[in-house]
Amino acid sequence: MMEDQEEKGNAENGIGRQKQVKDEYLLQFLDSLDGYLTLLDSLSSTLSQGWLELASARHAMGASRINGALLDLKVHAAATSLKVSEQDVDSMESQPCFTLCKWASSDNGERSSGEEKSLSPQLRHRNNSQLSEEKVSTRTGTPLILVDQQQRQKSLSVFGVLVSPKLRSAQLSFERALETLVEIANLHTTMLSMFEQVHKELENTNG
Amino acid sequence: MAGRAQIPTKSSALIAMIADEDTVTGFLLAGVGNVDLRRKTNYLIVDSKTTVKAIEDAFKEFTTKEDIAIVLISQYVANMIRFLVDSYNKPIPAILEIPSKDHPYDPAHDSVLSRVKNLFSAESVASGRR
Repeated sequence: MMEDQEEKGNAENGIGRQKQVKDEYLLQFLDSLDGYLTLLDSLSSTLSQGWLELASARHAMGASRINGALLDLKVHAAATSLKVSEQDVDSMESQPCFTLCKWASSDNGERSSGEEKSLSPQLRHRNNSQLSEEKVSTRTGTPLILVDQQQRQKSLSVFGVLVSPKLRSAQLSFERALETLVEIANLHTTMLSMFEQVHKELENTNG
Repeated sequence: MAGRAQIPTKSSALIAMIADEDTVTGFLLAGVGNVDLRRKTNYLIVDSKTTVKAIEDAFKEFTTKEDIAIVLISQYVANMIRFLVDSYNKPIPAILEIPSKDHPYDPAHDSVLSRVKNLFSAESVASGRR
C-alpha cells in the first residue's frame, strides 16, 4: 500500500518536473519573441531616422552627390564585421552568438570584439580623457577613438571631402541600427532554438 | 532547425544586404561593404528594374557563402522570393527581414513569426478536437 503511494508520488513529481521544464521553454520562447518584436520596433525608428538624415544630406549636397552609382567598387575588406562564436544553451543544444566588431578592418585588426555603443566620439574623448588614453592601438599608437573617426571619415569620403553634417548623423544612425540588428540576430537564434524545444515538447505530449 | 547543424565559429564574418538603395547606402556608410578580389559585393541594390531571378540568385549566393553570418533583406523584397525565404532553415547565416523606406515592417509576413503562428494554430486546433 505504502509502496503504491510512493510510486504514485514519484510519478506525479516526474510529471510536475516535466511540466515545469516545458513551461520554462515556453516562457523563454515568449520572452525572446517579445524582445524580438520590441527590437524590430526600435530598429524601424532608428532606420527611419537614418533615411530622414540621408534625405536631408541629399537635399543639402544634391542628388548627384549621394547615390548608389558612387559606391566604392574597388577591392576592400569590410570595416565592420561580425564575430561568430558558439554558445551552449544547455547540455544538448548550442547556438551561434554574434558580436559586432565595428571599424575593425585589417588596419586595426588587433582590436578586440564587442565595441561599446557609439555616442558622440568627441564628447567621450573630452570627458573621459583618462579612459581614452588607455585605449591605444598597439600597432599604430593612435587612440582607438581616433582610429574610429578615421575609419568613419574614410567611409564618408566616397561622397566627397566636405560632406553634410546630416550625412555624418545618418552614418551614426545606421551604426546604431547595426547594433540593434546584431541583438535581433542573437534573439532570432534563441527564439528558433526555443521554438524547436517547444515544438519537440508538444510532439512528445501529442505522441 | 537552429542548433542542429554544426556551427562554424568565425572571427570576421560579413553582413550581406538585399535592400533598396538608401538602406544599402546607409549600411555601407556604417562600414559593412565588402568587395572581394573577384569584384563581388556583399550587397544587392533592389530597384524597379531588378528581376526576381536576380534577387533569387543573390539570396542563394549569400546564404551559401561561408564568410557571411547575417543576411539583411528588406521585407518587401523577401515577399518576392517568399518560397525561398520560408524554406531556409539554417542557423548561419541568419536571415533578418528589415523594414524599408516605402514599406513598413509587418510581423505577419515575417517567415519566423508565421512559422510560429502556424505551429500554435495547428496545435490549438488539434487540442480542440481532443
